[in-house]
Amino acid sequence: MNRGSSPARPGSPPPPPVIRVSGLSKAYGSLQALREVNFTVRRGEILAYLGPNGAGKTTTIRILSGLLDRDAGEVEISGRDVAVEPVTVKRLIGVVPDTSNLYPELSCRRNLEYLGELYGLSRSLRRARAAALLDLFSLGDRASAPFGALSHGLKRRLTIAAALVHDPEVLFLDEPTTGLDVPSARALRDLIRDINRQGKTVFLTTHNLQEAEALCQQVVILIKGRVAAWGTPAAIRERVSRLRLLEVTFSGAVNAAQVRQACPAILSLTASHQGWRLEFADTHSALAQLLAFCESAGLRLEEVSASGVSLEEAFLEILQENLSEPGDAS
Amino acid sequence: MMPGRQVLAISRKDVESYYSKPPLITWGLLLPAVLMLSLYVKDPGTYLAIAPGIIAMTLLFGNTSMAAIVVTFEKRAGTFERLLLAPITYKTIILGKTLSAAAYGLATALVLTGGLRFLVGLRLTQPQVFALGLTLGSMCFSLLGLMAAVMVREVFEAMTLMNFFRFPLLFVSGVFMPLSQLPWWLQPLALASPLTHTVELLRLGITGTSSFPDALLPSLAMVVWLLVSWLATISLFRRRASE
Repeated sequence: MNRGSSPARPGSPPPPPVIRVSGLSKAYGSLQALREVNFTVRRGEILAYLGPNGAGKTTTIRILSGLLDRDAGEVEISGRDVAVEPVTVKRLIGVVPDTSNLYPELSCRRNLEYLGELYGLSRSLRRARAAALLDLFSLGDRASAPFGALSHGLKRRLTIAAALVHDPEVLFLDEPTTGLDVPSARALRDLIRDINRQGKTVFLTTHNLQEAEALCQQVVILIKGRVAAWGTPAAIRERVSRLRLLEVTFSGAVNAAQVRQACPAILSLTASHQGWRLEFADTHSALAQLLAFCESAGLRLEEVSASGVSLEEAFLEILQENLSEPGDAS
Repeated sequence: MMPGRQVLAISRKDVESYYSKPPLITWGLLLPAVLMLSLYVKDPGTYLAIAPGIIAMTLLFGNTSMAAIVVTFEKRAGTFERLLLAPITYKTIILGKTLSAAAYGLATALVLTGGLRFLVGLRLTQPQVFALGLTLGSMCFSLLGLMAAVMVREVFEAMTLMNFFRFPLLFVSGVFMPLSQLPWWLQPLALASPLTHTVELLRLGITGTSSFPDALLPSLAMVVWLLVSWLATISLFRRRASE
């Protein structure tokens, strides 16, 4: 289920695209990092940019934020080409890299004020912005502490705050919750939701598929530099919906090997927290075989519940499909 | 257009973060001070002949090292990327970094000169020429340090790279003897060296005499060096800054 905030009210026209990427390609020597990548992100959306390690996610962010030149294709942020107007585009975006890279010797407040100065904010405005962001990110009591002395979670928070100091339209977040403990990651996700509710468009890369599912309205899955899937989380899940999932509880103990042998239509069988999770394509055959197995083993089905395909399962399925495709150079 | 506010912000932050730290100040001051006082103790009558060379050598080693260390350190820590992500041009970044390194060189040289005046009664014959030599030399050497820093990833690589030109410059530039006493085959190389012209401007400023009749030629040579190193640094930044 998509639990992110909706960018448009039902019946209203969709918001305009704020990020438009078309035919984007980039190679490092003989390694083709991005191949004809296409996607758009509408204003106010959160887009999850997913992919395995080395898929090209960080390369995309570096090109979109003007840090890296592209080989081919078009990249526009709010209608401006990042290669043609890098300074203008950099005013429109805030970037949170995958490492918290603020100045360790400067205090939290000084870091924010310095970055505000680089973005051309007046002294009074950057002081006000720094104070507001320190409050928003619950760092008010650490304002005078050097950035280098903060915990990993607090460093992450201040790095996100730093990306917002100039009030950008678009926020790029490269694996923002990696390495955080559960409460800190959860608090950070709530902050990202709040930032999005204030109208910011968020471009998020993450390896946490549950995070992506919880936050995002759009998902792009990048594999070996190619867009393997692009759509809403529901549409991505639907794409692999030929797989059906059931959660079942038997009246007695069962042996997974016996079930697999008796029910060849069941493609996968895994123990879940209460019973078993079954994956199959042919519903009729799978259920018939399962009931026949219960009959022969003297078991009853205590509970049966349908289970949807999660984004993680859909991602793994799409990854499997694409990795098995021949003819890739990287 | 070069946004001056951002240039000053970068410089001020670097001074605050790096150049105002006690180890850097003492490093920049102690070596030349000890050298100069040793020469003075040996022969109070001739130390002035070597003072301009030592001050210029301090600028060369201090400014190239500091500019290179700061940028290489920031590249490794990831903080340099903050500058590249900000809505400023490479020229703004280069000028900001150059100004802070040059300010460090100027400050140490001025403190050194003040100390010598206080301790051994050093007097400047042409203070404005001395200031011009310090300013042009420190700007030029800072740019050379930035060029080295942007070409490499590690501090030791930057130092190794810079030693390929710093020590030869020291050899050919008349730091320890007047240009006229250099072998004839070394003199064309000496005229092409920015260190030579810095030494000669400082010599004019301190003693009022030089291998050149006045400050015009060495000043022009330093302006050409500044321009060339400025353009080369911009070109290198465009190609390699985000690597």
